[in-house]
Amino acid sequence: MTFNSLQFALFFILVYLIYLVLHHKAQNILLLAASCVFYAAWDWRFLSLLFISTTTDYFCGLKIHENKDERLKKKFLFVSIIVNLSILIILKYCNFFVTNIVTLLNYAGVRLDLLILKTALPLGISFYTFRTMTYTIDIYAGKMKPTSSYTDYALFVTFFPLLAAGPIMRARDLMPQIESPRKPDLANFYEGSYLIFWGLFQKIFVADNLALIANEVFNSPPPYNGAIILSGIYAFAFQLYCDFAGYSNIARGLGKCMGFDITINFNLPYFATNPQSFWNRWHISLSTWFRDYLYYPIALSKRHWGTWSSVFATIITFTLCGLWHGAAWTFVIWGIYWAILLVIYILIKPSSRKATAERKAQSVSIWHWIKIALFFQLICIGWLFFRAESCSQAIQMLHGLFLNFKIINNPYLIAYGFRITFYVIILLLMEIFQFFKNDQMAVYRSNIFAKAALYIICYYLMILHGAGNGKDFIYFQF
Amino acid sequence: MAALEKLNAVFQEVFSNDTIQIKPETTANDIEGWDSFSHITLIVAIETRFNIKFSQKELLSFKNVGDLLNCIEKKTIA
Repeated sequence: MTFNSLQFALFFILVYLIYLVLHHKAQNILLLAASCVFYAAWDWRFLSLLFISTTTDYFCGLKIHENKDERLKKKFLFVSIIVNLSILIILKYCNFFVTNIVTLLNYAGVRLDLLILKTALPLGISFYTFRTMTYTIDIYAGKMKPTSSYTDYALFVTFFPLLAAGPIMRARDLMPQIESPRKPDLANFYEGSYLIFWGLFQKIFVADNLALIANEVFNSPPPYNGAIILSGIYAFAFQLYCDFAGYSNIARGLGKCMGFDITINFNLPYFATNPQSFWNRWHISLSTWFRDYLYYPIALSKRHWGTWSSVFATIITFTLCGLWHGAAWTFVIWGIYWAILLVIYILIKPSSRKATAERKAQSVSIWHWIKIALFFQLICIGWLFFRAESCSQAIQMLHGLFLNFKIINNPYLIAYGFRITFYVIILLLMEIFQFFKNDQMAVYRSNIFAKAALYIICYYLMILHGAGNGKDFIYFQF
Repeated sequence: MAALEKLNAVFQEVFSNDTIQIKPETTANDIEGWDSFSHITLIVAIETRFNIKFSQKELLSFKNVGDLLNCIEKKTIA
């Protein structure tokens, strides 16, 4: 049941109507049952893994809190982390490691036939294991207390708006909302509906249509024309963004309708002008997770190295961030690419006072827009690796991009240009407006006529030009 | 309080801004330039200035300047 399907629409309407008439405790039970049904509709066999993660962390959370002995606290924390990471690593990375070890041994002249695990990847595993680990880690760090309600905790782990592809909400942000009564009022409903509508537009009209262009380009064989590759990358850049941001917006909207405040996951990422800014705007829940639970522990433990502690921690964090996205070298290279950009930025960035002065001076200057456009090219080089079918394709495409760039006599290029522009123009106008107002809900808060015009235009674009029904979201594969 | 003033001086130095006035509720969102990179520099500066050493667990438990200050005071009294 993807968010952009009729089955999900019916499912949510039914759940929501019942939700509205129930009191708090019953609402939580309903949501837990609905979340299990949502997950089972994808694959009921993996419900057991959800159950294992939930039960382990529920008990570990209580034990970490009630034990005064530091060593025992640490032991239960390790149990939680090891159980969750083992499930994730075995199911997601086993084949990747085995295949690479076999390849390495082959180079060394050793032939080995190792068993390849033939299992599907459980939906949302990279997301819910990260989400559930925030519970035990934050209890250990004294940032929250455990809950005694198993069902409330189970709801935190399985909450269906977040289950498939995040945002990766922290236990200390979502548990209080689960544990206290919520007030789904009309204002929440309107705001939630706007978010769902906009998310569906991003997915159905922008992302799924651009996917057709990106797939055409990335499924084609070499030799590669750089201009075509660039079109494919641009198409993918907006496809990925709208797919994922669209999903996150729908998740936020669903939560909002029910009175939940789900964390923002994107903040106009393509308006970034440096790597640090980009990662403060893209997949925010993941980048802050990695920052708080990986970067800070590493950097702080090596703080006597000075700036090099940040460099070291950044390289490890972003390499693993790349690997988190998928068990393939293209993702690892993408992660390392961002690590390099960030390290360069750490070493050359201006001091905070100078940066503030610069920022105040240039907020809407032409030079700022040029910086946005230039930095977008750097972002796109990263996407080349992210999307490429293999490392060799990525390298061949880079070759085409820099050494075989042909614009003249290229009818495909003009067609791609028009199509990409057609699909992204409304998105760009919306986001430029949000950028100037410094408010992601700027359109929602604008006058009724502007909103009505937007809704009608978007609605008809989705109906007339929307690409198919129920196409999977990209981040489901992670 | 002496510790708060001394800590404020460290903040002003690390972030090159003598208008900074920290409060117990202050977090990274309130101070321009306090990001994941400068945070490491800040911690080292605090440890040097107060001649203390934070444990890993303490460092990861701070939610705001208030937590930081309490920890500093515990360590400097001891």
